[in-house]
Amino acid sequence: MELSRRRILRLGMLGMAGAALGGTASCSTSASGGSSAGGNALDLWYWADGLSKKVVDEAITRFTEVELKPQQIGGNFKEKLVTTMSSGGEFIPDITGIKGEDFASFTPQSDRFLNLLDLGAGSIADQYLPWKWKKGMTKDGKLIGFPIDIGPTAMFYRRDVFAEAGLPSEPAAVAAQMSTWEDYFAAGVELKKARADAFMISETWAVFNLIVGQGTARYVDENERFIGDQDHIRRAWDLATSTIALGINAKSQANTPDWNAGLTSGSLSTLTGAAWAAIDIKSAAAGTAGKWGVAAGPGGAANIGGSFLAIPKECAKPDVAFKIISWILSPENQARGFTDSALFPSTPATYTAPALTAPDPFFGGQITTEVFGPSAEKIPVQYESPNDQAVSAPFQTELTNVESSGKDPNAAWADAVAEAKKIGQRLGLS
Amino acid sequence: MDPDTDVRRVPGSRRIRSYWPQYLAISPFFLIFAVFGLFPVLFSLYLAFHRWDGFGEMEFVGLQQFRYVLDDGTFWLSMRNTFIIWVISTVPMLAMALVIAAMLNSTKRFSAFYRVAYFIPNITSLVAVAIFFGAVFSTNFGLVNAVLQAVGLPTGRWLTDPLGMKIAVATVMTWQWTGYNAIIYLAGMQTIPSDVYEAAKIDGAGPVQTFFRITIPMLRPIILFTVIVSTVSGLQSFTEPQVLFGTNTTLNPNTGGPGQGALTMVLYFYHQAFDNRDFGYGAAIAWVVFAVIALFAAINWRLVQRREK
Repeated sequence: MELSRRRILRLGMLGMAGAALGGTASCSTSASGGSSAGGNALDLWYWADGLSKKVVDEAITRFTEVELKPQQIGGNFKEKLVTTMSSGGEFIPDITGIKGEDFASFTPQSDRFLNLLDLGAGSIADQYLPWKWKKGMTKDGKLIGFPIDIGPTAMFYRRDVFAEAGLPSEPAAVAAQMSTWEDYFAAGVELKKARADAFMISETWAVFNLIVGQGTARYVDENERFIGDQDHIRRAWDLATSTIALGINAKSQANTPDWNAGLTSGSLSTLTGAAWAAIDIKSAAAGTAGKWGVAAGPGGAANIGGSFLAIPKECAKPDVAFKIISWILSPENQARGFTDSALFPSTPATYTAPALTAPDPFFGGQITTEVFGPSAEKIPVQYESPNDQAVSAPFQTELTNVESSGKDPNAAWADAVAEAKKIGQRLGLS
Repeated sequence: MDPDTDVRRVPGSRRIRSYWPQYLAISPFFLIFAVFGLFPVLFSLYLAFHRWDGFGEMEFVGLQQFRYVLDDGTFWLSMRNTFIIWVISTVPMLAMALVIAAMLNSTKRFSAFYRVAYFIPNITSLVAVAIFFGAVFSTNFGLVNAVLQAVGLPTGRWLTDPLGMKIAVATVMTWQWTGYNAIIYLAGMQTIPSDVYEAAKIDGAGPVQTFFRITIPMLRPIILFTVIVSTVSGLQSFTEPQVLFGTNTTLNPNTGGPGQGALTMVLYFYHQAFDNRDFGYGAAIAWVVFAVIALFAAINWRLVQRREK
């Protein structure tokens, strides 16, 4: 009798354990919709507003040979993608987005992705901006990232504040007077004379980062050598720190309450940034609609941000996956991406589409693509090393030390370079 | 038959067999601990001797990662930050908690309400707290600077100046943990016999004298407990700087805000491991942090030993 009771208990426990295991297993498969489980399913990972949701939804009904399952992944996208890819197996998406700032860190693992040139990407290459196309390539010429959007930079400025200070207020005239950083800063000094609380520059790092982006080299060259101590970075450093001495730097970090208030009051009179910064301005200073203008920024064009789609090598149906990618990111659909999710197209043909040539009332009825479009085509090709971000950290830290605690710019430069070299050494740069 | 003597006679393997329901009952904790506690700890030790980016091949590098940690200016900066934040949060936090506990102990009315009110910060979502304090400490439009300006004191750049940032982080921590410590002190105070207080009252001691001569000496073991707990948690501070300064920059997240002024040791480890995907280096930092905390635990332990003699 006693034995049978035990056996019942034991069986009960086993049953519970089995149910728990079975439960988790079935849960995880249904949640992920893994490609091997579904047979015909194709998982697409992206983040909110990383692609136009309307275009993606249309792709589901358009490509019926597979069951396309788009998923918006929240939180730290890169972390989740890398964790999934390194654990391997059926949960790896068949198509995935990669954010522009993370892209370089994926290139050492390029054999984890399919070379899109093998799938016929070469035939549509001429539809995309050449520098962006090159950015999606590895050093040995494989295309692993297909261009989604880009972040061409320009200068946003307050027309009313400029007019009040006797500066030009029409975009063409503004661009002509402030075509170099030096001229831009000189105009800032003038602005400051006319209105004591008006600043031309919001923060030092933004200027420094943009000047670095305008060049053809960054902190690390193609042979993985540290070049952050050379003249091109030093020039960016000197220009950026000079704004503090000139008194035209508001020392206000982006997306803070101070920054929002400065944009509303006009004390932050200009902002140099990518096309997508317009969204930040519109939400931070909604009451200033009509008072803003966009002009070609000082020092030339640069790119900040902009993403890619890639196909991991575990993809079940690479040909279909590529067909879907090239359809979602075709010039026509990129115009919809601009309308739905403010993704600036990487296809120059789209710049004349009606969606991009509508006047923007927030910018005084200006057609902003007339500024961003030419900027997009002038962006230099830059090599971005997988170690670029890690090596740039000390520059950012030391610039803030100059900005907020008044550290001597030369001493800060020496410290930044020394620290960056140490990090480079740890990461195996020469 | 007496069950105890019966058990003592059977050999070990049979003892396990006869007590299996009990072992089974306590097994969930050990299984979960083994998977989510023990394994990561051991694996991080293994990682600390390797270079690994999370997907490629692991490369054995010996003690190199540890050498880099000790030579890394940013790590020493993060350690300095951690200690400064720890001191300027723990000292006022525990002092205020003692005073609040003494006041709570003497309230007659609404005592449950006050206890709950002081404990609420501890269970409030840190993300909401960070947004709130971000606004309070904002340079041009924050409450703190508005008050300072109103009374004619110089204002500070609390979210961009390295020292101001540490004060902001320490304030959040103090705000969050004062009530928790006060409740612990209150529990301790309620174990102090009331006849001691009565005797003091008869001898003519006022409330201040009673607090310093009776309450504090009799609370000593509990104060030591809170000091140790605050040391361990204070040296591991992570969430407060992460949410206050985590998203300030798009290029390098979790670097502790402007000038890395609020970069703590654990935040630096997180940044290296999960933002830079340098897992070997992150693990090495984590083990150095462990050594630092172990050192402090040893110092605390010595202090407790001496007091008890």
